[in-house]
Amino acid sequence: MSTLIGVGFSEKKDPYLAGCDAAQTALYQVHHRKIALCFVFSTIHFSHQKLIDGIGYALGSPRLLGCSGANLIVSDGLKRYGVGVMLISSDKLRCGIGAATDCKTKGAQALGEEWARAALKDLNEPERHQALIFPDGLIENGSELLRGIKNVLGKSFPIVGASSADNFRFVRTYQYLGPNILSDGIVGAVIGGGLSFGIGLRHGWKPLGKPHTITRSVGNIVKTIDDKPAIDIYADYFGRSTGEVAKTLIRISTNYPLGLYVPGEREYILRNALRVDDEGGLVCQGDAAAGTEVRLMMGTKSGALAAATEAATEARQTLKNDILRGALIFESISRSKLLGRLTQEEMSRIKDILGNVPMLGISTFGEQAPLKSLEYYGSTYFHNETLAILAIGEPYGPGHSA
Amino acid sequence: MVLATALKQAGLAALVINYAGMVGMIAVIVLVLVLVFKMERVKELGSELARLRRAFDDLDNQGKIILQTDLELHRAQEELDKKISGLIALQDLTRLISTTLDAEEIFRKIEEKHISQIGFDKAIAFTRTDTGEYRLRSCIGYTWEEGAKVVNLILGEPLLLRHVLDERRVFSSADEDRTHKDVARLLALMALSSFILAPIVQKGGALGALLVGSESSFTQLTGGDKDLIYILATQIGQALENARLFEETWRAQQVLEQKVQQRTRELTAALEEINAISKRKSDFISAVSHELRTPLTSIKGYASIVAAGKLGELPPAAKERIEKINKHSDNLTNLINNLLDISRIESGRVEMKMEKIDLGVLIGEIADMLAPPIKERDLTLVLRLPENLSAAVGDKNQIERVFINLVGNAMKFTPVGGKITVAAEDAGERLALSVSDTGIGISEKDLDKIFEEFYRVDNDVNQKVKGTGLGLALVKYIVEAHKGKLTASSTLGKGTTFAFTLSKANIL
Repeated sequence: MSTLIGVGFSEKKDPYLAGCDAAQTALYQVHHRKIALCFVFSTIHFSHQKLIDGIGYALGSPRLLGCSGANLIVSDGLKRYGVGVMLISSDKLRCGIGAATDCKTKGAQALGEEWARAALKDLNEPERHQALIFPDGLIENGSELLRGIKNVLGKSFPIVGASSADNFRFVRTYQYLGPNILSDGIVGAVIGGGLSFGIGLRHGWKPLGKPHTITRSVGNIVKTIDDKPAIDIYADYFGRSTGEVAKTLIRISTNYPLGLYVPGEREYILRNALRVDDEGGLVCQGDAAAGTEVRLMMGTKSGALAAATEAATEARQTLKNDILRGALIFESISRSKLLGRLTQEEMSRIKDILGNVPMLGISTFGEQAPLKSLEYYGSTYFHNETLAILAIGEPYGPGHSA
Repeated sequence: MVLATALKQAGLAALVINYAGMVGMIAVIVLVLVLVFKMERVKELGSELARLRRAFDDLDNQGKIILQTDLELHRAQEELDKKISGLIALQDLTRLISTTLDAEEIFRKIEEKHISQIGFDKAIAFTRTDTGEYRLRSCIGYTWEEGAKVVNLILGEPLLLRHVLDERRVFSSADEDRTHKDVARLLALMALSSFILAPIVQKGGALGALLVGSESSFTQLTGGDKDLIYILATQIGQALENARLFEETWRAQQVLEQKVQQRTRELTAALEEINAISKRKSDFISAVSHELRTPLTSIKGYASIVAAGKLGELPPAAKERIEKINKHSDNLTNLINNLLDISRIESGRVEMKMEKIDLGVLIGEIADMLAPPIKERDLTLVLRLPENLSAAVGDKNQIERVFINLVGNAMKFTPVGGKITVAAEDAGERLALSVSDTGIGISEKDLDKIFEEFYRVDNDVNQKVKGTGLGLALVKYIVEAHKGKLTASSTLGKGTTFAFTLSKANIL
């Protein structure tokens, strides 16, 4: 039995019916075969429990995971309202799913470790190739969470993920695991078996102005840049007072993030600043070590579109000669905002590379994907403003058709 | 010797020293020269470095300008994207609500996805009822209980009431200072970061209001947002107005329909009553006629016997009286027969023996039969019958009675020397027949009544010639029993035309 992937999308008003509708469409595409794994992504508008109940009604009790996103990404572009379901039917897929919650109490690192142990326990076999995570996008230090996961799965274990979002409300995001709805947690899967995965990662943001150096930092807080309070970099470049910058920091930093220079990588790692601490330090969504060269970054539509082509190409090339069955697309909400109606063009470019395979994705508050340079040994990092594409492939074999 | 050697060596040493000094001097000079050169180079490099640093700073400053410009462009682009998305959503929503003529359905059509497309998270619409109270009609992003509280909040806030419902203006929380205590309180109670409240306007003023709000503190309301929401609220108002007009029209139609049904019921009842009366009348006439005809037959029989002199020769005066009795008995018999025929046709007791009739032959026979009295009155009978006239369908005897009655009638009212025309022609699926005369004519007021039973036009002829007033009524019943229609047209002093239709044989 070869692998089949089906995607369903619904904009129905009633969450139960919407979930049911999307799941039934996807189920039809996999010819009503047994479901190995089910991904659910939805915009923030629904009653999430009813949505999951509706999916359960259509599918029974599938191994389900997913999260809320700012927008939904389907093969014809961006949807600001709706629910999407991706079903994978395959006898080659082995996966262990798990969840951990209460990050505020446990801390991000402990949460990551707890989740990884739960997923491994559920997988219950030594062979594993890929981790797929959906953490709460409101967890401030995404790097610390990844550190916890890597402590259990290994430093260079490939992890791809999307931080759940609530469309710039920054109030509450949701993670789905089976019939349960979580917040302030993480859900995900550790995947083994015979499927192959190709990861493509690009943002297309370009550095502007002269290089600066992070002179002091504590975890995800950049305290000083060039020995001055970190907030000054935004105040200086945008010609505003630090007070004004602090008020609109998220808005400015999602469009103009900090770029951390990574030797050997083609692009800078981007960091959004969430808020300003008492010392004028920038609280970022991921780590930024002292001594790192930092630049202010600027995105353009053409750059973002070119990045989409490059990310898709990279994801496809990683699969080599395997049959491409489908793709998950995790795109930063900032990219969606930058591209606006051009997200359709972006999807069109991705389809030019990947072909007309089933695709589903969300706009996120952050992305997780490995860096490829030798210096980083393929280790996974937290990203902002980035497009991460996970291509799902299947090696050629008897009975398989392209 | 030793001294000489020593001196020689000393001289040599001095020479060496001299040479060394010279070399040293040269070396120092060279070093100085190199140093000077190097210092020049360092100076040049320093100058170059300073130039590069300036260029670097200049580039950095240019970067700042680019960033600041890009920020403005970004905002403009965002605003433009938002407007376009909003307009597309507005167009969709307008199309949906403008094609709805049910007020409840209009609000049901406003869904969360539309509000999301417009760029907001929550929405509430409320309108005033006929009793003057405000009713929550649409609630998105809130529960209905929460929505009702928000409506009460709005209605209890003089700032909003005055601005939106009284002055019919759009209120945006962004227009007010966020620290304004009322606005800050409203935002907190509505669980919003920003909102727009627009009046739902109808002809008579603000009917209610539409509130849209955003939870995200990063949503920046603009003038474009206000315009968009105002248009949406106006569209809702217009759709409600259309729905109201439609409902009014529909209700009026319903009332009218009920009245028509009521009148129809009344008329049906009246008709049934009339039919019952008519039946009683027909039954009565039939019974009376039968009862009259039996003794009348005896009277006529005996009168005939006596008049024929079978019981002995009568004196002339008695004979004259007996003949009058005989003649009046004939009239009475004729009257009773007509009454019986009318009664039978009216009650449906007479079955028409439908058959194919060659009208040319039938009318020819009638002309032959009536030729003597026509000639006697010096009248002219003209027959206008096309050669290929279609055959009719009907009861031959009854149709014959129709023609005899109509021609007889014409003979009665046409002065000496006049003309009677019997015409027939194909008229589509039917045959059109008529009997015209150049007689005295019938007044307009009498034309409507001549088909009524026992109605006799008040004129000189009728005063002189006795009649029953049943002939035309009988003709009308016969024609109608053939699903035809009898009409009369007349001009006083010029003549009268009776026209009727019969079915053609080929559509039998």
